[in-house]
Amino acid sequence: MTTTDRPAAPPVRTHKQDRTWVGKSIRRVEDPKFLRGRGGYIGDMTVTGMLYAAVLRSPHAHARITGIDIAEALASPGVHDVITGARAAELCDPLPDFGPDPTKHTWRCLAVDKVRYVGEGVAVVVAESRYLAEDALALIDVEYEPLPALVDPERALADSATLVHDALGSNCAYERTFDFGDVEKDFAEADVIVTDRLRWRRSGGQPLETVGAVADFDHATGRLTVHTNSLSFTSYLFMVAGTMKIAANKLDVRPVPAGGSFGSKLFATKPAVIAGMCSREVGRPVQYLEDRVDNISNCDHHGSDRVYDVRLALMRDGTLRGIDIDTIEDYGAYIQFGVGHHGNALAQVVGPYAMTSVRYRVRAALTNKNQQGAYRGFGSEVNNWMLEQIVDKAARELGVDPVDIRRRNFIREFPHFIPTGNVYDSGDYDGVLDKALELSNYKHWRAEQAKAREEGRCIGIGLITAQERSVFSATEFWFWFDEPAAPVTSMPESVTLKVDATGAITATLYSCAFWGNSPETMVAQLVAEEFDCDPHDVSIVYQGSGNGLPATGPGGSRTTVMLAGAVEGATAKIKAKALRAAAHLLEADPDDLEWADGGFQVKGVPEQRKTLAEIAVMLHLFKHSFPDDMESGLEDSTVFDHPYTTMPSADRKDLGVFYPFMGHACHVPVVEVDVETGAVSFLAYAAVHDCGTLVNPRSLAGHIVGGTAQGIGTALFEEFVYDEEDGQLLTSSYLDYLIPTAMEVPELAIGHHETPSPYTLHGIKGGGEGGRMMAPAAINVAVNDALAHLGVRVTELPITPDRLRAAIRAAGAAREAR
Amino acid sequence: MKPPPFEYAAPTSVAEALELLAVHAQGEARVLAGGQSLVPLMNFRLAQPGHLVDLRRIEELTRIRAEGDTLVLGAMVRQSHAEHAPEVALLAPLLAEALGYVAHPPIRNSGTVGGSLAHADPAAELPAVALALGAELVVAGPQGTRTVPAADFFVGAFSTALEPGEILTEVRIPRRGGGHAFVEFTRTHGTFAIVGVASVIEVDGGGVTRASIALSGVDAVPVRAAAAERTLTGTVPDDATVRAAVDATVAELSPSADVHGSTETRIDIARATLRRGIELALTRAQDRR
Repeated sequence: MTTTDRPAAPPVRTHKQDRTWVGKSIRRVEDPKFLRGRGGYIGDMTVTGMLYAAVLRSPHAHARITGIDIAEALASPGVHDVITGARAAELCDPLPDFGPDPTKHTWRCLAVDKVRYVGEGVAVVVAESRYLAEDALALIDVEYEPLPALVDPERALADSATLVHDALGSNCAYERTFDFGDVEKDFAEADVIVTDRLRWRRSGGQPLETVGAVADFDHATGRLTVHTNSLSFTSYLFMVAGTMKIAANKLDVRPVPAGGSFGSKLFATKPAVIAGMCSREVGRPVQYLEDRVDNISNCDHHGSDRVYDVRLALMRDGTLRGIDIDTIEDYGAYIQFGVGHHGNALAQVVGPYAMTSVRYRVRAALTNKNQQGAYRGFGSEVNNWMLEQIVDKAARELGVDPVDIRRRNFIREFPHFIPTGNVYDSGDYDGVLDKALELSNYKHWRAEQAKAREEGRCIGIGLITAQERSVFSATEFWFWFDEPAAPVTSMPESVTLKVDATGAITATLYSCAFWGNSPETMVAQLVAEEFDCDPHDVSIVYQGSGNGLPATGPGGSRTTVMLAGAVEGATAKIKAKALRAAAHLLEADPDDLEWADGGFQVKGVPEQRKTLAEIAVMLHLFKHSFPDDMESGLEDSTVFDHPYTTMPSADRKDLGVFYPFMGHACHVPVVEVDVETGAVSFLAYAAVHDCGTLVNPRSLAGHIVGGTAQGIGTALFEEFVYDEEDGQLLTSSYLDYLIPTAMEVPELAIGHHETPSPYTLHGIKGGGEGGRMMAPAAINVAVNDALAHLGVRVTELPITPDRLRAAIRAAGAAREAR
Repeated sequence: MKPPPFEYAAPTSVAEALELLAVHAQGEARVLAGGQSLVPLMNFRLAQPGHLVDLRRIEELTRIRAEGDTLVLGAMVRQSHAEHAPEVALLAPLLAEALGYVAHPPIRNSGTVGGSLAHADPAAELPAVALALGAELVVAGPQGTRTVPAADFFVGAFSTALEPGEILTEVRIPRRGGGHAFVEFTRTHGTFAIVGVASVIEVDGGGVTRASIALSGVDAVPVRAAAAERTLTGTVPDDATVRAAVDATVAELSPSADVHGSTETRIDIARATLRRGIELALTRAQDRR
């Protein structure tokens, strides 16, 4: 596809300059209820007659189930039912699955004839309390016939003797190589080709409340009501009806605050199905809420687990030409999102750099681990890390300054189509870099680094510049296949605005159950901007799927942009009606009226006006004062569809536009490495982000801090470790799965830069994932910068003391350093 | 993560507690002394006691007092209480310093000094401190009271000289002069240490007259760094002496590998941490003179 046959971009918007509320750091409207413990999580819910479910987890990584004896458990006090995997398979169809071939890597709520990872559910007990349910779990006798465990993805691909899914006939669920641009030419003409091998090990989002559901099946109506903290309830959860073998219009999924997701609850259908299945069997409401070990070992999904072999083609002056990426992703035992991770990577695969070609080979390995999927960044953060490591390596090999090599290659003209076909709508990478160099006190730290080195101390500065894509289109889930399963996907978001008889405004949201972000604050500010009211006076409510408008839910940093579009649309409809009503009341021509300060007034005659409240009360109570075709009330909705997404080309040499609103950031951590122990500590940390026009700088700063803290976890601490021999999960609690505390996270210096998007309301871009998309890359670069003079370069995350000491010992560096 | 059923009693005297332990001797009775380790183990169902005898209402076990130069801590003294008590600061500053490394403040508000010692986690701070300071542990049992030196108290990982039916009631810590230091290496703040080093070093005219150093995390029980103590004693230690003292100790260690570190890395970390502990104790000893 050439530039000329690309579909037209949406019209370029002009943005209002004199904003009142958008751009203001107001206090989050969500906070009071959560700070007072009135958030209403799954664990807080009680429904009359509710029973509790607990799941028996597999102790084996890979084993045939040759027998299950549940008699004793069934007789245990307070137990209402015990459902084995085999019975569950009769009661329910497989779980919703977007994997390459669900019939061959079938995923169910409980394992049927074999278990495929430690923690996989084997049976579920329903009892009067969670205590009694767990007592009964201990009485279930399962006979296993252990099979060899596959833990290493490369070995899994090579090994066809042991299969995770026999029906698939291979442990490779997907393989394809894509060429974008003229890869051969760029590599042939390059002065230098830098190669790298990198390993990103799996971690995952750690929510305060785990995934859970309270399900109530009503046998009288055949209706299933599920309260759950899944994030996708309005978009995909109709598929749960399919799994439950009920009509979709008999399923109502009601949102519950997520208590943190970070991607981990993006889909999360298993607890809803388990609770729903149990409720239908016992005829009572049932709560299934994962405990922490369930959540670590048997959750919806862990985060990325990737091996890279990369080649970078560049010129001697540091000009980047092309990149050849060969990656294996360890998906664990199932693959519910397919290789959507890599769609995320391909949205910004060349980073902020003007490269002309990309080769991308991806292989999806199946192993005996919990499956993996979304985690803040959804695979694009892994690509950022890979790209910044190899660019840094190239700079070092060429003797080019790390700041200079980045600046030399920055994209400066927008909109810019990268080789994969995705568009970067706008950006100012020099502006962000300049701000970051100043904010981080970069020169000062380079001087400190030199001084420290003379004292034998190892200080490193990790400057990276990377992309922060926002507002996904689901084409990234299917452009992997030649036969598209769908035309271009719209991924809508809806808002209903109601102006009541007093002029107060209520906004109804159809997704976006609170998951740690600020959908209510965003909507309140956007509504306040449109109607000149105080955002704290806007009331926000949610609707379940049963009565809902189309919506998608948070994911891929889309919430604010999409809700803004929906608010804008609904506002226009309401103002159009209010204008007509005002014109009628003022006996003026609508064209002579203008919106000002919360009402309509005659242009040039501000004392002739009707406030929104005055208009609203008339429309609610005195309909007969208006023309016949006007109905009572002042309420309207907008279903806002993705504003800019296009089809991939048939040959998949151009994937189309699927992640157009491109943010950018520069992170500069300064670390000190204790060479003797392998400990890494922070001396300073600066982060400058550009997410277009800011709605609430304070809440964005919160995202940056939280995301960076998670990135620090990924870089230094967090890892789901499976034993290489028997596949046991060695980090099954927070004793061993280490999360950084406030003591490990440095004070961040945060800077904002604003380059508006030409295509969205106010020029907003998404910014919910940025911190974690940058920090792992930046910290790895910093550690390598600290140790380069010792000949140590770390290529594997997390950088634990054990890995760092092993690298230092291997380099024979420790002794020289002292 | 819910415990199996158990019975619970909270007696108000040691005699009553001993009686309850005796009555339920066949029913897997366990003493509860803060619950910061036992309760999580019960929730994981790794410990399944039939009866819990909670010592929290026994007033006499919650006191801190000085008997001349000996610090006496009731077994149920909360860790945060001891951490900030003037008697501890005066008589056993090493203990006060070590307590600051025990998990996090909310855990120290519930966790007790005696509970940590009796639990005998190989990575815990307080057993190493007791060993370095030559503490005596007072044990009450059906046959009366006996006193066990710290060196004999820790038998194995999570295993002590306490017999079934006995209760640790008191810890007696003799005052030590010189410089003290507690240092440890953890991966994140408040998590289990890879190695901890408790040191007290006395100097006279610059020379080391007495060194007591104990390590946690390197073996099933806390160990004395006897080789380092011998190497340092009688010398005016310079960098080379300290290094020799550290090397002599580390040569005898073979910590078990786990998910946080290979044996090799654990030795590397022990080497650095032991050296830093000795250096800090020496500096403080010299400053105090």
